[in-house]
Amino acid sequence: MPHGSVIPAIILIFSLFILQLCIASVASAGGGGNGINVWPKPRIMSWTTQPRANLLSPSFAISSPKHFYLSSAANRYLKLIKTEHHQPLVTPSLINITTSSSSALHTLFITVESLLTPLQHGVNETYTLSIPADASIANLTAHTVWGAMRGLETFSQLVWGKPNLLVASGLYVWDSPLFAHRGLMVDTSRNYYGVDDILRTIKTMSFNKMNVFHWHITDSHSFPLVLPSEPDLAAKGSYGHDMQYSPDDVKKIVEFGLTHGVRVLPEIDSPGHTGSWAEAYPEIVTCANKFWWPAESNWTNRLASEPGTGHLNPLNPKTYKILKNVINDIVNLFPEAFYHAGADEIIPGCWKADSTIQSFLSNGGTLSQLLEKFVGSTLPYIVFFNRTVVYWEDVLLDDNVNVRPSFLPKEHTILQTWNNGPNNTKRIVDAGYRAIVSSSEFYYLDCGHGDFLGNDSQYDQLQPSSSANNGGSWCGPFKTWQTIYDYDITYGLSEEEAKMVIGGEVALWSEQADPKVLDVRLWPRTSAMAETLWSGNRDEETGIKRYAQATDRLNEWRYRMVSRGVGAEPIQPLWCLRNPGMCNTAH
Amino acid sequence: MVRSHTSISNVVALIFFLVLLIIPSVQSTTATTIDVWPKPRLLRWAPLHQLSLLSPSFTIASPYDHPHLSSAVSRYLTLIKTEHHLPSSVNNPLTATSSPPPPPSPPLQSLHIFIHRLHAPLHHGVNESYTLHVPNDRPTANLTAETPWGAMRGLETFSQLVWGRPSRVPVGVYVWDDPIFPHRGLLLDTSRNYYGVGDIMRTIYAMSANKMNVFHWHITDSPSFPLNLPSEPGLAAKGSYGDDMQYSPDDVKKIVEFGLDHGVRVIPEIDSPGHTGSWAEAYPEIVTCANMFWWPAESKGEDKLAAEPGTGQLNPLNPKTYQVFKNVISDVVKMFPEPFFHAGADEVTPGCWKTDPTIQSFLSNGGSLSQVLEKFVNETFPYIVSLNRTVIYWEDVLLDGVVKVDSSILDPKYTILQTWNNGPNNTKKIVDAGYRAIVSSADYYYLDCGHGGFLGNDSQYDQLVGSDTVSNGGSWCAPFKTWQTIYNYDITYGLSEEKATLVLGGEVALWSEQADPTVLDSRLWPRASAMAEALWSGNRDETGKKRYAEATDRLNEWRHRMVSRGIGAEPIQPLWCVRNPGMCNAVHASI
Repeated sequence: MPHGSVIPAIILIFSLFILQLCIASVASAGGGGNGINVWPKPRIMSWTTQPRANLLSPSFAISSPKHFYLSSAANRYLKLIKTEHHQPLVTPSLINITTSSSSALHTLFITVESLLTPLQHGVNETYTLSIPADASIANLTAHTVWGAMRGLETFSQLVWGKPNLLVASGLYVWDSPLFAHRGLMVDTSRNYYGVDDILRTIKTMSFNKMNVFHWHITDSHSFPLVLPSEPDLAAKGSYGHDMQYSPDDVKKIVEFGLTHGVRVLPEIDSPGHTGSWAEAYPEIVTCANKFWWPAESNWTNRLASEPGTGHLNPLNPKTYKILKNVINDIVNLFPEAFYHAGADEIIPGCWKADSTIQSFLSNGGTLSQLLEKFVGSTLPYIVFFNRTVVYWEDVLLDDNVNVRPSFLPKEHTILQTWNNGPNNTKRIVDAGYRAIVSSSEFYYLDCGHGDFLGNDSQYDQLQPSSSANNGGSWCGPFKTWQTIYDYDITYGLSEEEAKMVIGGEVALWSEQADPKVLDVRLWPRTSAMAETLWSGNRDEETGIKRYAQATDRLNEWRYRMVSRGVGAEPIQPLWCLRNPGMCNTAH
Repeated sequence: MVRSHTSISNVVALIFFLVLLIIPSVQSTTATTIDVWPKPRLLRWAPLHQLSLLSPSFTIASPYDHPHLSSAVSRYLTLIKTEHHLPSSVNNPLTATSSPPPPPSPPLQSLHIFIHRLHAPLHHGVNESYTLHVPNDRPTANLTAETPWGAMRGLETFSQLVWGRPSRVPVGVYVWDDPIFPHRGLLLDTSRNYYGVGDIMRTIYAMSANKMNVFHWHITDSPSFPLNLPSEPGLAAKGSYGDDMQYSPDDVKKIVEFGLDHGVRVIPEIDSPGHTGSWAEAYPEIVTCANMFWWPAESKGEDKLAAEPGTGQLNPLNPKTYQVFKNVISDVVKMFPEPFFHAGADEVTPGCWKTDPTIQSFLSNGGSLSQVLEKFVNETFPYIVSLNRTVIYWEDVLLDGVVKVDSSILDPKYTILQTWNNGPNNTKKIVDAGYRAIVSSADYYYLDCGHGGFLGNDSQYDQLVGSDTVSNGGSWCAPFKTWQTIYNYDITYGLSEEKATLVLGGEVALWSEQADPTVLDSRLWPRASAMAEALWSGNRDETGKKRYAEATDRLNEWRHRMVSRGIGAEPIQPLWCVRNPGMCNAVHASI
């Protein structure tokens, strides 16, 4: 993979050198076979001896440098390690299990080089973990507390057994992510999720070493976020008092993210997808509460890309007054240095419904100029708060309504792609922008569950039509874990271009998702992306995609996530795990 | 619908009530804002659309000594008094505050149940019709049914009429109801992955809320044998996934009784002679090709040992096979009072039998695989019939391209065939051959499809852009069957009225390669509800037009109600659509 900065590369080479010097028989670990599995698979995980396990002492402790978030993580992992008692579905086949309690592992000793490095994009997440055979101390070394959290997760996955806890030993791990941005987007506007659902999701992300929770908070359907300066937006635009996020809720979520090494990146989508704002401020929203695609109009004259109409009006000064209050509150609530400003799916018909916009257009103005006015009035304001602005690719790539690159300073702008697979990723990086990949053909987790429109005549036939054939939704079919796992987000890019791809995000849009299906929609498919972006989807030696052995490992990992309280869906019958290799295809 | 199961007495009743309806000012039944799922055949709400409070001392009067009915009555009384359902749609006329308050009616004090044939057993074809009358001038509602099972359907309908806090009920309501198809089922595979007894009971409970009446329990298969049988305890002891993943005789009894309390028959399936790999843990000698790799690299498609990983078929030439098998049948018949017994007989795979030396010599002496299967069926079918059971087989037993029996050995009187391939074509083949059919077409009714293949090491995924197989969701029966696909399927499509009467009904099926308790509810609901309505009252309106349009809003509301009843059904629309009726519709022919 092309991503890896210079320093990890040096460490990698150095580590490999040391390993080759010191280790007699180097067995690659974690590649299936012996049943010691870590998900996502570490970059390097090697046995320094024959594969073996050691007892974990009943008085096992984690010695951590004092740090508000790392200490909290160390406590959490200590509790998990001591209480999880994971029972692998396939018993690890180890040469040697040391059961002498005199040599039990007593302490995991954490060393962090730079305690003060904040959790931000590109932070060093590298760690090394060394669990010597028959020794009472293991060492976890990281540059930052965030890397130490990744190492703690790895260590937790190396412990199993009941009643006695065992830990894989004689093991050396060096690990560092290929991509800096490994995210998950959840839409809390179309349907509402409770704070606990969000916390559980962030916790599960940290199990999978993911680091960005992209929170698509608002949209046309509801405005669940209570903002101190604009309380009416939620009071009138949410689904109800019991379906709002208070400032305290946000604080709780952001803090929870920090204790789990997960950044919480807020998105306030605008100027499209703002129908819910009209409940409080009808005067700043065009085409609000209209039927989305009247029978008499053709597709180009629709008012929204789906039911739920409304765009902020760039020509009304009050729009900016409200939006700036919103931005102000958001930057106060979210310490995260990225701010997602949306800007997807500007629908010409919606702006054209407004009389002031009509006269602007009839005086020779264009819709793209309107969008430029909006971006020109808001982007500098966001940047003023030391935020990097993330937009959906549409702002630049939309066929009808887009802005010139001069409105999007490259040092302050990142574009998130969702259309046309690798093609749009290439267009974005070729235009000089950093890209986050959320290609709907690969990374949209909501697809394939049928359309959500009512009264849809495509279904009135015996034989399914071609669109019903792929599962019925616009982005059908369902994206299987294999589809997600095998996608190469830098496909077709030069090494130089690939560096502009900072990572990817799977996305759960909530037309047909809510808390009832949250876990099954997300897991373990999100885990598939997590591994691909962490250590790649190919065998290091052969370059062949490693989905084959990934199946068994992901299956095992799915069961472990379930026992950790995550409702992940099964990918195979239990029988397959009990009979390794028997569920493969040889054709 | 092409056909109707309405019996003559029901037709008379229907005509009688239609006449009654025409005399007062006729209220269109489609204009009703009362949501009941599945939609009753006839529901009339007097034009004033009056509501009454449900009296805090509301009771259900059922003067009958019938354990299952009594259980249902007390269950519904509790539900009705405690549910306090709040419709999601704030614009629902039921909850609208802008309309003038209706004239006050006295609080409803009681619902009286009248049953004509109290002792009718819960068997295939039992009369499930009921009439429900909630008057607007008296505090007493009446529920009249032929049988206790019909009364249970009426209780469910009544429970869906009640909403709000304090509880309200529409009055001036008349319902006549009767299912179009008598067999409305759901198959659950508990062999590939295990489900706890609580999961099964919750599923039966949700079925009864949808007026479904057959839980088809695919108990055993090659991956595991979870059923603990008194005469053959070794099968589960050695063939289950573990001691904590078995069903004891007491568990079965609990499930069967729970089914009766909910008007749901529990049909056991012991799949054989294929799909029996798990039997080999206890009796390796009666199973051919057990524990082998399902499709060796060097062999062609037709030499596969099994249709999927997990090999093993009972050996029809070994006498011991029948000794064990008859013990199994005898136990299952004792545990399940249900008169239908599902004997499987799907996917007999030639390569598996051909690995066995005794079968090899039978074949080299001029025998055929179909004769081997005929021997198996001849040894087992009469035995099952002798125990007063009607035998259901998968269609393969007759329609398989390679291994099948002659229809002369399957007496249509005692045989029902369940179709799963080729959509309407195989249904037609089955009824044309004179057999009764249960429809579980994989193209429409398989709930597990579209979640990707479950095979490991599958090279079709090693590409950037998906191939055709991958692009439809990756599993053999992909894509995912949406609720609309299920709702709109006409299971008697292309059949004459006469032939259509041989179609008993349908079953949605959840095979468990990629399902287990964590996804059970979301895979089943509300998609099984879509079939439940199509088989109960049809999928078309009075004009013959498919009614999925108005069904969307009702199903959405019903989904929310199921969730509040503890069923983890998946959402079909944003809440916004429920709150803004009509706004999420499509008005264009294609999108």
